[in-house]
Amino acid sequence: MRLRVVVAAALAVALGAMAATAGASSGRAQANKLTVWLQVDAQSGWPDVVAAANQQFQQQNPGWTVDVQYQNWGDHLQKFDATIAGNDTPDVIEMGNTEMTAYMASGAFADLTGSKGEFQNSGTWLAGLAKSGMYGGKLYGVPYYAGSRVVTYRSDLFKKAGITSSPTSIAQLTADLAKVANMEKGVKGFTPMYLAGTDWYSALDWVFDYGGSIATTHAHKWVGTLDSPQSIAGLTAYKNFFDTVAQKSAATLDEANPAPYTVYSQGLTAAILGPAWFSCCTGTKYKNVTAQFVMPSHTAGKPIPGFLGGSDLAVPAQSGQKAQAVQWISDFTNTSNEQSLQAKGNIPNATNLLANTVNARAAARSWFVPQAKHWVDVENGNILRTMLAQILTGKLSVAQAASTASANIAYTLNQS
Amino acid sequence: MATAAGTTTKWSRQRPLSMRRLGRGAVPYALVAPVVVVMGAILGYPLYSLVRLSLDRYGLFELIQHKGVYIGLKNFGSVLHDSVFWHTLVRTIVFAAANVGLTMVIGTLIALLLVQISTWVRLLVTAGLVLVWSMPPVVAVQVWNWMTNVQNGVLNYVLTELHFGNYFQHNWYTSPFSQLSMVTTLIVWGALPFVVITVYAALSQVPRELVEAAEIDGARSWRVFKDVTVPVITPVLLILTSLSILWDFGVFTQPYLLIGQPHITTGNYLMGIYLFEQGYVSANFGRGAAISILMLVIVAALSVVYVRRMIRIGEVT
Repeated sequence: MRLRVVVAAALAVALGAMAATAGASSGRAQANKLTVWLQVDAQSGWPDVVAAANQQFQQQNPGWTVDVQYQNWGDHLQKFDATIAGNDTPDVIEMGNTEMTAYMASGAFADLTGSKGEFQNSGTWLAGLAKSGMYGGKLYGVPYYAGSRVVTYRSDLFKKAGITSSPTSIAQLTADLAKVANMEKGVKGFTPMYLAGTDWYSALDWVFDYGGSIATTHAHKWVGTLDSPQSIAGLTAYKNFFDTVAQKSAATLDEANPAPYTVYSQGLTAAILGPAWFSCCTGTKYKNVTAQFVMPSHTAGKPIPGFLGGSDLAVPAQSGQKAQAVQWISDFTNTSNEQSLQAKGNIPNATNLLANTVNARAAARSWFVPQAKHWVDVENGNILRTMLAQILTGKLSVAQAASTASANIAYTLNQS
Repeated sequence: MATAAGTTTKWSRQRPLSMRRLGRGAVPYALVAPVVVVMGAILGYPLYSLVRLSLDRYGLFELIQHKGVYIGLKNFGSVLHDSVFWHTLVRTIVFAAANVGLTMVIGTLIALLLVQISTWVRLLVTAGLVLVWSMPPVVAVQVWNWMTNVQNGVLNYVLTELHFGNYFQHNWYTSPFSQLSMVTTLIVWGALPFVVITVYAALSQVPRELVEAAEIDGARSWRVFKDVTVPVITPVLLILTSLSILWDFGVFTQPYLLIGQPHITTGNYLMGIYLFEQGYVSANFGRGAAISILMLVIVAALSVVYVRRMIRIGEVT
């Protein structure tokens, strides 16, 4: 029967399509080749710094090549796990400071304590960042850079609205933004300040500003504290601020899609809150009318506590070229490269290099995530983003959403 | 006695023959053996590894040591006691049913349309379908994302311009239902070409004389379709349905990328994503293996009805 031919053909096509999903694998570690995994931030923000480090490394090691592979924050850990399983890890890997603990505890990285002297300025490393690369008294992660979060704004619009000085409190910022909004109300889709609603790195600034926190330990157990009165006051203030100045439909959006600087470069907002390096991508049209100020607190005269993000550089334990890996890290984090990073809007890895930048001033008050092995699961489970979306869309009250999130966080952190 | 004697002679007469027959009978097995060995190595070994992994505690620490710790059936126990698993299972079954149903109904309708239209139009439609079929899912997700983008998506623009309401900066991904609905449109769109072209091929096998006879007897087009066309193309519809169930139950790429990692929560998990989040993202590979074995069993159970009917049809025709 010819129908059978049809069935058989259909099956063959289907199986063929399934078999076509083949994966490509990268090559084994070669002699005289160093594989380095950096995040895409370096690719878009400071490729010249990477090139300088590679050049210096190759001068010290003639005949060596450096293969820098750029990774995304969203999936680099899964890819790293796969290379561990296949004994094919990179020789150097950039890790977010919130990601280090779980890997250090599992023995994924080489102990660099003995090489500490090879890294310039290691005696004056930023205390908070250096701590994220230490475990059990040993050094596993070399501080790479940190970043505080500032307001990047359109100085031309602020000036036109008659604003002459940077706001010193949230109330003043709200009033300033109202003036800008009033002036630009003819522009379709314009929002005075663009905030991605579920960007918890920004939203939790308000929680810490009002004296709240995410979780604390009590009798060797983690206790969620987002439902404390201080945290709820902070979340409520964030909701009020969002409702007043931000775009309603961005309540459930994240900060990657669209990137706040994309909205900014399209001329649809006067201000964005995020890492200082956002100034990289505000568009050529607004390059000369873009400036930055420290996000103020609700208490006049103080900066709002900002998330102190940062990265470390680690050498995977399986790397066969640890000495070269250490040397590359040392080249990459030397004084001149760290100063270049500062010029691009980052905080360098050592206190003696700190200049009086808006970024450094913003770092005067900062907060960090609970240093728990399972914190990374809280991030991956999007518990904070879910809470923020519920609050901003009004699906749940602040207290309800905070209490659910708080319970979820405690449960996740207390896993064995 | 006579019977016994007869049997003996038969045996003695057949003995040398049966050896030869045995030799002859072994040839097909010898021919198929290399394929069986290769398939066994390709499919059997990973399956064996999967089962072994599902009985181990295998986290980041064990991954680095390259050695798991045997814990028996604890992974299965913890998954089956996880309320997220059961919620996800129900959600996935509803999701797969909606996707398979829409794919099959719309696909069959388009195939029927193809029979009716002129050759040129049919060629154009087929070319369009093949283009859809050839588009990789990741690219399709990017296009969907671009079209439904909240800031300046073309969908919002067109709907607003056509006065369907104010869709300016409308966000299409606010709730799990709307997120999964968007995923459904993408999956059905991507699955249609295969269904349409296959059903169209099957329709061309429906004997013309049967249709004509039914029409002469006064059957209307719905009766002809129900009582003449459908019985003939049933095997094709069944195989398409069971394949669609397999694909839509375990779908991962489209929901994961379209909803986006920052918005994946226990409230919108599908089984494929649940497996990825629990196994890979949380680096709990033993638990992930247990989930994938459970998924395998569930899919087998879901499609057993169809497979049985297919085998029965195979026996009849």
